[in-house]
Amino acid sequence: MSIDPALWPRLHGASTHFPVALAMAAALCDGLSAVCPEGSPRKARLRGAGYCTIILGALGTFPAVLSGLLMTKGRVLGRDAELFHHLFVWPAFALLVGLGTWRALVGDKASRRGFAIYLAVLFLTAALMAGAGYWGGELILNS
Amino acid sequence: MDHLLKERDLAGESSRNGNLQMGSVKLSLEKRAAVLALVCSLIALGGALLIAGPIQELANSAFFAGKPSSGIAVSPELLAQGSGFFAQSCADCHGDDAHGDEGPDLHGLAISNARIAAQIKNGTKGEMPSFAKKYHDPEIAALVAYVRSLR
Repeated sequence: MSIDPALWPRLHGASTHFPVALAMAAALCDGLSAVCPEGSPRKARLRGAGYCTIILGALGTFPAVLSGLLMTKGRVLGRDAELFHHLFVWPAFALLVGLGTWRALVGDKASRRGFAIYLAVLFLTAALMAGAGYWGGELILNS
Repeated sequence: MDHLLKERDLAGESSRNGNLQMGSVKLSLEKRAAVLALVCSLIALGGALLIAGPIQELANSAFFAGKPSSGIAVSPELLAQGSGFFAQSCADCHGDDAHGDEGPDLHGLAISNARIAAQIKNGTKGEMPSFAKKYHDPEIAALVAYVRSLR
């Protein structure tokens, strides 16, 4: 008895879209909350949504990374499209875990400056996630 | 009057101190959270890179690596036949050792046998030619078995 090798790409595909989408959603919600007037209910709702999405996104990276490692048989870099995919994935993974941790600990007690730095790093992470997704797609198209 | 002014000054000072104190509490919470976030990031990244080695060993084990699942009975003859077809038609692009050249590396492909066979048959427009005319199902099965044997 053996596991079908096609299981890992399927699991990776199933798990990887959650952190990508959640990171984007967090960037969108927190980005919009930054332009809302101070103290408005919309700002609070967007911050709440940003809080949930970044934490869920950070948690979602673990199954995505694990299934990816199983899919590539432990290759952490690879070559061609896989190399580019990994060059985006690893920093995005580390940043997303860091952002999720920071947000979970700070909650809604962030200072204006702290939140601005968080937001800048979040945008960078969302861009890295987009790059990882793009090269992941290239990898599948070329395989 | 002096007494009132002094009281107001004291109240203002304590309020300013309160704000400052509140500000410093916020700052220290953010800083502590940032340090913890950095530690968590490094642990997550380091952990992922550390488990890559054991995963590599595990993935190459018989249970995880899987076997050809499209009913191909793998024999040394079939592999030799597949290797011959590979050298004839695939090595130019995928490299003699199948580690990739113009085409991708074919070692440890994480796609099903059916998908490998479909790729050989149909090719990819602008990237890989179709071999449907050159090879029929038995030959493609030999090629799939050979490609699958590349670890």
